[in-house]
Amino acid sequence: MARVEIKDIGKVFADHTAVSNINLTVEDGEFLVLLGPSGCGKSTLLRMIAGLELPTYGDVFIGERKATRLQPKERNIAMVFQNYALYPHLTVYENIAFPLRVRSVEKKLIDEKVRSAAELVGLTRMLNRKPRQMSGGERQRTALARSLVRDPDVFLLDEPLSNLDAKLRHSAREELRQFQDRIGVTSIYVTHDQVEAMGLGDRIVVMHAGTVRQVGTPEEVYLYPADTFVATFMGSPPMNLVSVGNVTLGFRPETFLPETNFQTDIATTRISFLVHRVEYLGGDQLLYGTVGGTLPETAAIARIPSSVHYSPTVGTEAKFAVANVDLRYFDSGSGKALIPTDEEGIMARRAAHG
Amino acid sequence: MAESHNSLSGDRFLAYATLTPSAFVLFLLAGVPTVTVFLTSMQDIGMGETSGPFIGLDNFIWALSDPTFYSALWHTFVWVFGSVSIEMVLGLGLALLLNRTFVFRGAARAIILAPYLVPTVVAVMTWRYMFHDIVGIINAVLIDVGIIDGPLLWLSSQSLAMFSVIMVGVWKFFPFAVIALLGILQSIPQEQYEAARIDGASPFQQFMRITLPYVMPVFLLTALLRTIWSFHKFEIIYLMTGGGPLDSTTTLPILVYLKAFSDFEFGRAAAVAILTFGILCILLGGYFILIKRAEARQ
Repeated sequence: MARVEIKDIGKVFADHTAVSNINLTVEDGEFLVLLGPSGCGKSTLLRMIAGLELPTYGDVFIGERKATRLQPKERNIAMVFQNYALYPHLTVYENIAFPLRVRSVEKKLIDEKVRSAAELVGLTRMLNRKPRQMSGGERQRTALARSLVRDPDVFLLDEPLSNLDAKLRHSAREELRQFQDRIGVTSIYVTHDQVEAMGLGDRIVVMHAGTVRQVGTPEEVYLYPADTFVATFMGSPPMNLVSVGNVTLGFRPETFLPETNFQTDIATTRISFLVHRVEYLGGDQLLYGTVGGTLPETAAIARIPSSVHYSPTVGTEAKFAVANVDLRYFDSGSGKALIPTDEEGIMARRAAHG
Repeated sequence: MAESHNSLSGDRFLAYATLTPSAFVLFLLAGVPTVTVFLTSMQDIGMGETSGPFIGLDNFIWALSDPTFYSALWHTFVWVFGSVSIEMVLGLGLALLLNRTFVFRGAARAIILAPYLVPTVVAVMTWRYMFHDIVGIINAVLIDVGIIDGPLLWLSSQSLAMFSVIMVGVWKFFPFAVIALLGILQSIPQEQYEAARIDGASPFQQFMRITLPYVMPVFLLTALLRTIWSFHKFEIIYLMTGGGPLDSTTTLPILVYLKAFSDFEFGRAAAVAILTFGILCILLGGYFILIKRAEARQ
């Protein structure tokens, strides 16, 4: 087990900057998710922690050790790759045993460790198979077993679920999290899938264009986005943004409801909403339209749960509202949140509206 | 139903009708000579004759009891094993080098292919000139550097001729191994090496446990293919030494040629050709087994 510290790190390739000035601390035993669109630098950051990529500047500390220039094998980390990187000519048993074999561990000990690792991920009955004879989920579990067989200090996972189909991905996510809870090893997980990030992470690091936009628990990142990028990247559909002069108003589709739905003692902001199209999704319905009235005309989405009985009429303006506690304010120029997103700020706002 | 059946047989007729001319040409160019060789091998045919008395398997009995056949067979094995093994080791080494990133890699890859593209006659004539004992550059350099005291008879001494011929064969054909092996090397996913680095494998262990297992099927197939092609290679040896000196570079294809067009013993030449063909069939069988196995591994 170890804590990972990243100090002012950056990576500049010949033609572009992949990562710039990132500071980050991953606590011992924490499950941290690096989230961002493709090309945001999250994989490069992970590869610098692994030692597969040398940072242009800055340092990586693993445990108490400065690891910036250490070889990957000297860092006692394990990594699970997107394509699992299993050795196709070796059986599951030999794949799991590989890290121990190259370190010339005693045969009896290897056997013991391989079997206990295989049992942990439920592969005991497949030890003699080759990777090509296995399903995507089984390969992923083999990769997991191989990475944990030598008790690493840190677990690095590079989009390990992205090659699985949607259903399998859901159950694999569940398995992965249970597994991490059980062995309690510090884990850093890269993904571009916000649902995966929310479901897995103790904390989420949202990255964009090589920089960190926000670090926080899934709740903090979702409820109090640090800027308009995080606001629209997290959530599906994304947060509605309405620009009113210097300030951009933000509200999540699920907080944007018919006015009649709010109790009279709750402070709300009324917004008129012209519905263009309705999408029925079972659990809720999505209304696509434009806000207007006193606000500049802007496209917006409302998400109405099926528990709220509301039949929208396409083409007519309706009275909608957002509770003031659910409104967010951003600087129109920089996109930064105007209300502090740290804990004190959150408490202060709750008090103000309370 | 009947109609579709009719049109089907109509299609078939058209297919066979259009295939017939090429099948006929193929039969004329490949079938007839093969049958002729088999027939010739069982006759005693002399100079200027197209046929002779039928003597059964006498020509084969001669070949299998005459030392010239066995000496040619031995020379063939030395030639094949010598050139193919050097080609493959050299090819693998160069493919590994060319697989690394360096400046001018593209140019290096193109230059390495050059020998394969030079016409054999041009290449052999150039090599013969270089191997020449008096005016050749090889002796000149070796004497200047001080490795040898006097000129070596590269092509006209029994002990060196086969070595020289093998060197030229290697020079001409190692690019084939380079292309084949470079292709498979480039298909190895980089993630495999990254995973191995994290798992703690040294560069040597990465080579032994990732690169070699990946490359091996293609390596074996290429080696066998080169074995088959070298086995019946004629022009390089004939142009270099003509099979000499004193038969020291006479391989089976050279023996067939000498028997037919120097001794004018067509029957015996045909018998040796058919025995060579038999050995090649065994090698081909091995080739197809390897291909099957490689496909099964996919």
